[in-house]
Amino acid sequence: MVQLRPRASRAPASAEAMVDEGQPASEEEEAEHGLLLGQPSSGAAAEPLEEDEEGDDEFDDEAPEELTFASAQAEAREEERRVRETVRRDKTLLKEKRKRREELFIEQKKRKLLPDTILEKLTTASQTNVKKSPGKVKEVNLQKKNEDCEKGNDSKKVKVQKVQSVSQNKSYLAVRLKDQDLRDSRQAAAQAFIHNSLYGPGTNRTTVNKFLSLANKRLPVKKAAVQFLNNAWGIQKKQNAKRFKRRWMVRKMKTKK
Amino acid sequence: MGEFKVHRVRFFNYVPSGIRCVAYNNQSNRLAVSRTDGTVEVYNLSANYFQEKFFPGHESRATEALCWAEGQRLFSAGLNGEIMEYDLQALNIKYAVDAFGGPIWSMAASPSGSQLLVGCEDGSVKLFQITPDKIQFERNFDRQKSRILSLSWHPSGTHIAAGSIDYISVFDVKSGSAVHKMIVDRQYMGVSKRKCIVWGVAFLSDGTVISVDSAGKVQFWDSATGTLVKSHLIANADVQSIAVAEQEDSFVVGTAEGTVFHFQLVPVTSNSSEKQWVRTKPFQHHTHDVRTVAHSPTALISGGTDTHLVIRPLMEKVEVKNYDAALRKITFPHRRLISCSKKRQLLLFQFAHHLELWRLGSTVATGKNGDTLPLSKNADHLLHLKTKGPENIICSCISPCGSWIAYSTVSRFFLYRLNYEHDNISLKRVSKMPPFLRSALQILFSEDSTKLFVASNQGALHIVQLSGGSFKHLHAFQPQSGTVEAMCLLAVSSDGNWLAASGTSAGVHVYNVKQLKLHCTVPAYNFPVTAMAIAPNTNNLVIAHSDQQVFEYSIPDKQYTDWSRTVQKQGFHHLWLQRDTPITHISFHPKRPMHILLHDAYMFCIIDKSLPLPNDKTLLYNPFPPTNESDVVRRRTAHAFKISKIYKPLLFMDLLDERTLVAVERPLDDIIAQLPPPIKKKKFGT
Repeated sequence: MVQLRPRASRAPASAEAMVDEGQPASEEEEAEHGLLLGQPSSGAAAEPLEEDEEGDDEFDDEAPEELTFASAQAEAREEERRVRETVRRDKTLLKEKRKRREELFIEQKKRKLLPDTILEKLTTASQTNVKKSPGKVKEVNLQKKNEDCEKGNDSKKVKVQKVQSVSQNKSYLAVRLKDQDLRDSRQAAAQAFIHNSLYGPGTNRTTVNKFLSLANKRLPVKKAAVQFLNNAWGIQKKQNAKRFKRRWMVRKMKTKK
Repeated sequence: MGEFKVHRVRFFNYVPSGIRCVAYNNQSNRLAVSRTDGTVEVYNLSANYFQEKFFPGHESRATEALCWAEGQRLFSAGLNGEIMEYDLQALNIKYAVDAFGGPIWSMAASPSGSQLLVGCEDGSVKLFQITPDKIQFERNFDRQKSRILSLSWHPSGTHIAAGSIDYISVFDVKSGSAVHKMIVDRQYMGVSKRKCIVWGVAFLSDGTVISVDSAGKVQFWDSATGTLVKSHLIANADVQSIAVAEQEDSFVVGTAEGTVFHFQLVPVTSNSSEKQWVRTKPFQHHTHDVRTVAHSPTALISGGTDTHLVIRPLMEKVEVKNYDAALRKITFPHRRLISCSKKRQLLLFQFAHHLELWRLGSTVATGKNGDTLPLSKNADHLLHLKTKGPENIICSCISPCGSWIAYSTVSRFFLYRLNYEHDNISLKRVSKMPPFLRSALQILFSEDSTKLFVASNQGALHIVQLSGGSFKHLHAFQPQSGTVEAMCLLAVSSDGNWLAASGTSAGVHVYNVKQLKLHCTVPAYNFPVTAMAIAPNTNNLVIAHSDQQVFEYSIPDKQYTDWSRTVQKQGFHHLWLQRDTPITHISFHPKRPMHILLHDAYMFCIIDKSLPLPNDKTLLYNPFPPTNESDVVRRRTAHAFKISKIYKPLLFMDLLDERTLVAVERPLDDIIAQLPPPIKKKKFGT
């Protein structure tokens, strides 16, 4: 518990001073060690050491503080309570935050799903179908039904009629997004491949402008190169100019008269 | 003829889609052409290269391969991974089978016609068996590392050559395993970082495999040993297509620069038996990539990104050297895409996925012959109507009074009512279409806009009564005997009594609308009908066929008119019969019953029935006779066909009223300006 602090600047009397101050320092240290039970001792020891180094220079002459064990204990308990309370508050705050987030997610999910009425109808319809063919999975059933629905009014299966009663005015086709995404991405990749190999970097392509101008340059009477007009450029400016011209004309007519 | 003010319209922004695949069927001499928007057209090469059937396109369909199988069955495969069969009799898609290999890049039918081979994105080659009503998956061949871009069968059906990226594999059909794998050089005599894509392969019966690739080479490989025999560098850009003739003595390749090369098997010296392949003729008829070629017994057919379909008969194969051996370039559509409302001076333009309604401009100035008059009011873009769904529009029409617009896609029929208040228009859709009114091949409104005639693709003809904002189905004429054609044309008389429909091979049927029964049938002619119209007062039906013959049939008398008989006896002028493009529209002058106005893509003609007919010796294309020539000379050279070539290329021409004509032109440069970029060509001096 007694820790000797190196005092290089001090005179030979430093040894005594060290011994003297060692005791109050150790008292404080003890008290603090008693307080902060859970914390590592090195951390606790480091602070008072540094403080005491500077403090010792000033309070060399004065007597150390006297702390009763009870007050120190009370202080320690209060500190503990405070810490525990803060921890509890933090935990509750986090809990609340998490709860709110969950609710938000549930609401968003709800918004994404079809309205309840249609879901009810679909589930009841699928249940009756399940009764007929108990071996099938609900999902597969739904998909199959929707495929039938897509085929049109010509098929005379009983299943299709049931589906028609479900979707009265609307005609929609439900497909699994996973399959459609895969197919679309493959088709897009294939088209990107073709575009890259024909028009991508490394191909020797020229613009339409240059292509049409080439003919002009080779004619016996050379003509200027082809220029493409951009009619959508400066629409606002042109409109303003038109309006101004009209107003100026009117003004001119008035002054002439 | 009279003086007319002509509205020259150039704001129809029509851009055809590029040609992606071409397939030639030898038995019926028909050509199937598929375009980048999914449309498949069938041209009858013996009927003067006329487009007789078409299947409208679809946004998700990107066809990459087209082939004919045994029994006149047409199959196509595309990047959506499905193989589709087209029903040429019923004019719809029979079914679509998913190949489960990802996007399909190539397809080839076996020489016997009973099997179908498909090359997919994942490197697998799948074999399908063609059954009488469907196709059945048989088995997979060995899976390769990269996508299979081209396929070719050996004429005996035992081996297959498949071109991929940087290599070509030869498969044995029975075992399905790859026998040889031939690595293709990335560049002719050099190294390159860009991968070499083998765009086309062809397998000859002596075991030679011919490959064309993106480095511009044509290479000959020996499939027995898997080695390279000969290599030709023919272009600086990709060589994208190859087609071999049936006798295997010539083949044709198309490059990305627009050049088409003809290779022939010629003996090494004049009397030796050893032969070699020599590049004989280059043809430059295209400006952009030539993505597909086909070889018929007498002609080379090519098509590409510049949307022209070029058919070049080979002089050594043609027996009779007449006008049939000339180059044919099909650029403009063979059917009408524009309808006109004469009362309100509106034009309805049909595009693939939308319709545009324009009001013509007006002018108050006057001038003399040949003047360009300034517009006092510009043409107005009134409506831009987008179609719902990915399907293309098949046909559309606007009523003569301008208050109804109808159009149809493959699965739905749309009818809209327009209201005009001062300068604004409002559109209201008529919902709840009856179920039989699904897909229409042709739509027509009657002259008083009270009746709508719809020719459905099942062959039935429906008459619908329109009143106010609603409609009522009056009658349906059931299909007569004969096969249904896609170029179904309708014509209605101006008094509303007669309806003529040409949709079957049995001839043109004329129906009595008031009594709702069939009146008579014009005798069948072996060439398809390209345009039809009924004259206002005389009720004569004028029919134009694809071989440039024009007939006039009197409906009340149920026989050909005298003028028509005279014309047939004398025959048309030879220059008239040698025109390339079909007549797409016929109209009449309200006050002059002796005049017929018709047009094709490069000329418009007013036939004056009162003047004498030209024989082969007279000049057909009369320029404007100069006024200082004597009357006698003018009378001697005057004949019935007054042809003018001032406005070309014409997409539509009609008489708005007695003194006004409207001519919709589409200059070729405007189409080229909207095509994808071509390959750069370095010309000396630029």
